[in-house]
Amino acid sequence: MALCLSRNQANVDAIMLEIDGTPNKSKLWANAILGVSLSGVTLSVCRAGAGAKGVPLYRHIKEISGTKELAMPVPNFNVINGGSHAGNNLAMQEFMILLVGAQLHLLRLSAWAVKGYKAKYGQDACNVGDDGGFAPNVQDNRRIKIGMDVAASEFYTKDGKYDLNFKKQPNDGAHVHSAQSLGQLYKDFVKEFPIVSIEDPFDQDDWGSWASLLASVDIQLVGDDLLVTNPKRIVEAIKKKACNGLLQKVNKIGTVIESIQAALDAKAAGWGVMVSHWSGETEDNLIADLSIKTGGAPCRSEQLAKYNQLLRIEEELGSVQYAGETFRSP
Amino acid sequence: MATIKAVKARQIFDSRGNPTVEVDVILSDGSFHRAAVPSGASTGVYEALELRDGGSDYLGKGVLKAVENVNSIIAPALLGKDPTKQTEIDNFMVQQLDGTVNEWGWCKQKLGANAILAVSLAVCKAGAAVKKIPLYKHIANLAGNKTLVLPVPSFNVINGGSHAGNKLAMQEFMILPVGASSFKEAMKMGVEVYHHLKAVIKKKYGQDATNVGDEGGFAPNIQENQEGLELLKTAIAKAGYTGKVVIGMDVAASEFYDNKDKTYDLNFKEENNDGSQKISGDSLKNVYKSYVTDYPIVSIEDPFDQDDWEHYAKLTAEVGQQVQIVGDDLLVTNPKRVEKAIKEKACNALLLKVNQIGSVTESIEAVRMSKQAGWGVMASHRSGETEDTFIADLSVGLATGQIKTGAPCRSERLAKYNQLLRIEEELGSAAVYAGAKFRAPVEPY
Repeated sequence: MALCLSRNQANVDAIMLEIDGTPNKSKLWANAILGVSLSGVTLSVCRAGAGAKGVPLYRHIKEISGTKELAMPVPNFNVINGGSHAGNNLAMQEFMILLVGAQLHLLRLSAWAVKGYKAKYGQDACNVGDDGGFAPNVQDNRRIKIGMDVAASEFYTKDGKYDLNFKKQPNDGAHVHSAQSLGQLYKDFVKEFPIVSIEDPFDQDDWGSWASLLASVDIQLVGDDLLVTNPKRIVEAIKKKACNGLLQKVNKIGTVIESIQAALDAKAAGWGVMVSHWSGETEDNLIADLSIKTGGAPCRSEQLAKYNQLLRIEEELGSVQYAGETFRSP
Repeated sequence: MATIKAVKARQIFDSRGNPTVEVDVILSDGSFHRAAVPSGASTGVYEALELRDGGSDYLGKGVLKAVENVNSIIAPALLGKDPTKQTEIDNFMVQQLDGTVNEWGWCKQKLGANAILAVSLAVCKAGAAVKKIPLYKHIANLAGNKTLVLPVPSFNVINGGSHAGNKLAMQEFMILPVGASSFKEAMKMGVEVYHHLKAVIKKKYGQDATNVGDEGGFAPNIQENQEGLELLKTAIAKAGYTGKVVIGMDVAASEFYDNKDKTYDLNFKEENNDGSQKISGDSLKNVYKSYVTDYPIVSIEDPFDQDDWEHYAKLTAEVGQQVQIVGDDLLVTNPKRVEKAIKEKACNALLLKVNQIGSVTESIEAVRMSKQAGWGVMASHRSGETEDTFIADLSVGLATGQIKTGAPCRSERLAKYNQLLRIEEELGSAAVYAGAKFRAPVEPY
């Protein structure tokens, strides 16, 4: 039954792609196709439930992707906002904490870190940006690591440089970096802070700089804008050794099967995979069942709904392993 | 008839990142029904007692004891019961399993109001499923209400008081689309005004001022309460809805009441201030009256301290015809306090918060008493919410006519509004939007 459902899911998605015809779904629009596909997953679960006495959604996704083991993801909490998400002068868009040392109470450390900041900087500094982030006091760096989402395409200039003062226009150009000097800046950060992941360090078409940085540092480089969860761009990135992490956003590619295929391609190449929210989200918690990683701070329920679902899955699975330090290849 | 086969609680997190209680009720037919409870930051002293763990974990906010009370005390006691018997189950939990009482009734001190309420809400959802009817219809039946009504949303769009770091003493400023023809149109109006307001605030105070507070409202660094009203007036006009979208306020005056000298300190947000902005209850009443004269204000919530019955009665007598005076901290959804307020004519509307009283049955009783007295009823969220949408169905089933569940921002707020859109769609041509009749949309039941 599960195998038939798995085929049915792939067939549903393939039929929709065939109807659309265009590679990037301009005819039927990615949003409409994604909506139908998500409903299909839900319907499949209902059928599986009737025929097989109930299969949780995450197991259904495991089966149609061929994954053999389940692992609880390391949450990446977006706790400081800059870039287009905030009114401050920070060019870089998100700073995240990763709880690689957490066990069953995976949210305790983050809640402590977040509340510590309120006590120090007061209430106004605790209003939240679109992803629920503000700024924590991260004191325990043995169990909490740092991730960054730079969104460098936002401050890439026409002449191929990166303007770290792009939010102030016009500016004197004193903070404009070449790709090479920006790369050096990241290497300095990695040397000085417990940074384990950098997302979108360069523009989505600056393939050479991506590859150069990947060759220089031993951390996860995640492609969001670079890859847009598109299998063809993943193949190109694998070939060019441009990054080693996929940011999986279901609405960037449009169907569940394509999202899974993108994750499988990435994993086959030895990459890490993060499942991600968008800054405009709803309370639907499907991406927690897709698993691996879900973003946002522990604030605002469009983000917390995903974490809460992960708590329920962990409780239901009992002895499932937590990805922890091995989050890149669980 | 499916019965309760298991009840299971767990600790999850609310929209502020604080722990809260979630309960699954599993029935003998294999189905399960889930509910999570909200929590307030600005709470009244007469609210049912929420059980927190204390200690250092989660900065003392853990709810593992409440979870354990559900799993080890309530769960075994409910096995085999019929979930459609809401009153029977609620009374059993409140009066027998807990049994604690104070001068205002059942205070739920032993098991925790958060433990009892989570079960009460989940049982209510289970009861609706057993009867194979929508939750809002089940709630209407429990209350004896025959008319379903889509509520006017009261969008909390500007924050002050305990919900923000600015100097505003008054806690919330809200917009109500009473001139819409449907809930769907009300959402359109509210969303448009909200985004116009965001643009007005950004232009005047910078982008940082458009970050949002706990309920999705903006907290610009404004110095005077009247400035908040001016911002709203401007945003409503820019959206083109003057006359169709009006204003409500939640002052939460208990937060700045000085019990020693019976004054209200409009500058309470500034520590060690010189006391120059302390005013009497009568002066504060006159401030409200001048606002009502100058702005299209239709609702004022908690204008005075929860024990200042005298000034509540004065204000209600003087402006109660044209303005709804809502009791939140004054009433805490408690039938005994509602009864006292009716007798003393202290206010003319109830703010319905299920976690203030701690069970569905008692909440319904408070609403029925209010409606029989000719009062308005506003169903309300708390500042710490989850993705649970129970209060949306509650507001339709009880025909409250109004719902306050934050700005059209942050999905723990929008989840409720989205649920109301689904309900209106489901009701089709039978859907009735409260509109201008929000204070009394149906005959008392």
